[in-house]
Amino acid sequence: MPWLDVAFHRALIEAVLVGLAAGLLGVQVVLRRLAFFTMAMTHATFPGVVVAAVVGVDLYLGGAAAGVLAALAVVALSRRRGHDPSTATAVALAAGFALGVVLLSAQRGFTKDLTAYLVGSILTVTTEDLAVAAAVTAAVALSLALAGRVLAYTAFDRDGARAAGYRTGAVDLGVLLLICAVVVTAVPAAGTILTLALVVAPAGAARLWTDRIGTMTAAAAGIAVTSTTGGLLLSRGLDVAAGAAISLTATGCFAVSMLVGRRDSLLTRWRARRPAGTARPDAGRFPEGG
Amino acid sequence: MHAVLIAPFTAPFMGRALGELLLLALLAGVVSVFVLIRRLGFVADTMTHTVFPGVVIGFLGGGPGGVFPGALAAAAVTAALLTLLTRSRRVTDDTAMAVLLVAMFAVGVVLVSRRASYRADLTALLFGRLLAVTPAQLAQTAAVAAVVLTTLAALAKELRLRAFDPQTAAAMGYRVWLLDLTLTMSIALVVVAAAQSVGTILVVALLVVPAATGRLLSDRLAVIAAVGVVATAAAGYLGLAVSYHASVTHGLRLASGGTVVLALVALYLLALLVPPARRLATRAAHRRRPPDAVA
Amino acid sequence: MADPALHLERATVGYDGTPVLHDVTGQVRAGETVALIGPNGAGKSTLIRAVLGLAPVTAGTITVLGGAPAGARREVAYVPQADTLDLQFPISVAQVMLMGRYRRTGWLRRPGRTDRRIAADALDLVGLAERARARFGTLSGGQRQRVLLARAIAQQPRLLLLDEPFNGVDAVSQDALLAAIGALTRQGAAAVISTHDLALAHLACDAACLINRHVYGFGPVGEVLTPALLRAAYGSQALELRGDRVIVARP
Repeated sequence: MPWLDVAFHRALIEAVLVGLAAGLLGVQVVLRRLAFFTMAMTHATFPGVVVAAVVGVDLYLGGAAAGVLAALAVVALSRRRGHDPSTATAVALAAGFALGVVLLSAQRGFTKDLTAYLVGSILTVTTEDLAVAAAVTAAVALSLALAGRVLAYTAFDRDGARAAGYRTGAVDLGVLLLICAVVVTAVPAAGTILTLALVVAPAGAARLWTDRIGTMTAAAAGIAVTSTTGGLLLSRGLDVAAGAAISLTATGCFAVSMLVGRRDSLLTRWRARRPAGTARPDAGRFPEGG
Repeated sequence: MHAVLIAPFTAPFMGRALGELLLLALLAGVVSVFVLIRRLGFVADTMTHTVFPGVVIGFLGGGPGGVFPGALAAAAVTAALLTLLTRSRRVTDDTAMAVLLVAMFAVGVVLVSRRASYRADLTALLFGRLLAVTPAQLAQTAAVAAVVLTTLAALAKELRLRAFDPQTAAAMGYRVWLLDLTLTMSIALVVVAAAQSVGTILVVALLVVPAATGRLLSDRLAVIAAVGVVATAAAGYLGLAVSYHASVTHGLRLASGGTVVLALVALYLLALLVPPARRLATRAAHRRRPPDAVA
Repeated sequence: MADPALHLERATVGYDGTPVLHDVTGQVRAGETVALIGPNGAGKSTLIRAVLGLAPVTAGTITVLGGAPAGARREVAYVPQADTLDLQFPISVAQVMLMGRYRRTGWLRRPGRTDRRIAADALDLVGLAERARARFGTLSGGQRQRVLLARAIAQQPRLLLLDEPFNGVDAVSQDALLAAIGALTRQGAAAVISTHDLALAHLACDAACLINRHVYGFGPVGEVLTPALLRAAYGSQALELRGDRVIVARP
């Protein structure tokens, strides 16, 4: 039997590809504070997948269409009176997911499909899934390689970047579309929750080790791939849901970095602290200095 | 007319479902206002996922009766961990929440996945059983609503000050972290109360959409809250009626919790269409007090 | 003589063992207006936080109205920069004004008739009585700053702390702010104004405190804001004009 015909082998390749794509893009998500947007995308692409399954269109196409619509809705709603981005994002998330649930409930096999959507079914990926994941991973890597500087500039200093002639709106849209692509690719295999874990946790962990965006991106990709493959092996060994095992591996890496990372971890803070009783102030969010 | 609008709710299970939704409308309509002004949409979403392992552990340990205390314990753990995680300047709030959300949710999934009835259990816990609400659950929701609404009414002006101007709130001597913890626990209680009926995942709609709808129509917090409560109650009624008729008349099964949320979203979309000139606040303000009075 | 409104004795302020301000000594008497001058990052906000009891004093003492800073908050009013607030927030000017009365109203109670009258009077003092029903975010930047000052006045404080109140404020609003601060200090309250505006310090303040990590001068404006001391505190940000005057470049 060819190597690729074994479900577990395909799952391993999918794990590496999805880990790479999510880890690479994750640094942009963390630096731009788009974690909630990513979460919303994982849920809002759901109705697109259901509709595509009912109509008989390609599932990725359906998911992508719903994702683009949801992203546009978030951008449009954020501009309404009194709607900050988190409200707009939450509305899109809730609306998209409820639509997906209702559409799916009208079909048979409601329970099984819904569970698969939430926690993924990485052991059932097909060769076609692998091709899509490879293409999206390549697209993410290429975009970061070509536009890395612009992405860093616009994330760090929007006004400055705009003054320097960059079209920040177009850059933002590009990032949102990349997130959409990664989410649509990862969710069928990995599930909604795991996708968020893979995008945010490795990048958040990498940030606790280095201040250089390039190093951070490489580290995030490494942590993500280690988490996906390691979690997959763990889930086989311990007989628990693969998505959950991978999520816990990724968040475990984050927790370890939080404790002993080289930058601003609990360990470095503990070392920097003086023995004298220097209690922290009892309220945060106040401008420091100046 | 009667057959369409009232008859569905004469069945006891439908009546209880409607009662639960009306209680939740009152509760969520008010809490969502504070979620809106504090921009806690993601916190609300995080909470809906992090109570999940508590629900599972409570259910495994004590059956349906264990769900409530389990969820409450998980909510308290979430609040504590969120405070701890955001102490690092390098980990932004949203990253911390996302990591906490996935980690705790994954723990819940691992626990459920070891049971034989895995899929059915997971679905019930995530999406609730609106049509299976018991009188005991109704009483529980009513008790939670009483506690939360009393607390928020007592602290309304302080919570508003903290949301609007945290620096001055601290300067005035308010313990901002205590106000924050109170609000976070109120959100958690809504999630816990709604978990068994609407399900943990759809609760986020109840915590965000009501006030977002109100905000489209008014600049005044009291009006926003009132619109939110009325819209959610209407959505509860509409959603139940629609899913009932779809099932009975057309043989189409629609998840009742999801249909209620879609009805709420539909009302929100309607509010989006209201032109700014016809907002409630503008008209109310002109009708209110003589011009020399403050507030 | 009564206690000074604010007394600093070799105070060092800092977080996590890293001092931001060293060895600050000086006092502000009742009825006095003091300008707090220094470049960005000098520790002006940290000093204000310490006076409010929100930043730890690691050495020396800060005495506010005769007691510990945290205990005096009821008699101290803080005015934040207007541009740090959310313009979309659903709140009216009148509601912002009543916030000044919350600490005297207490928990669980709503502001009463007296609170409303005091709030209305304070709003009138800054010339915005007719905007009471407007949404706060619809006001101009200068008007918003005036409302925040009026809210602080409604607290009936004995010590007023203002954080950069003249940033981006129009001339009309600046005059209204200065007049209202003057009205309060004439009734015996003390005011500390953190600002970059040396001309305003000369115009409206009795004394100045020039800081950049530590105190370069604390006393009458004319004696503190001298070219030599400003050059010392501001370094390369100070520009000299015609040999005897100094302006500071805003970053």
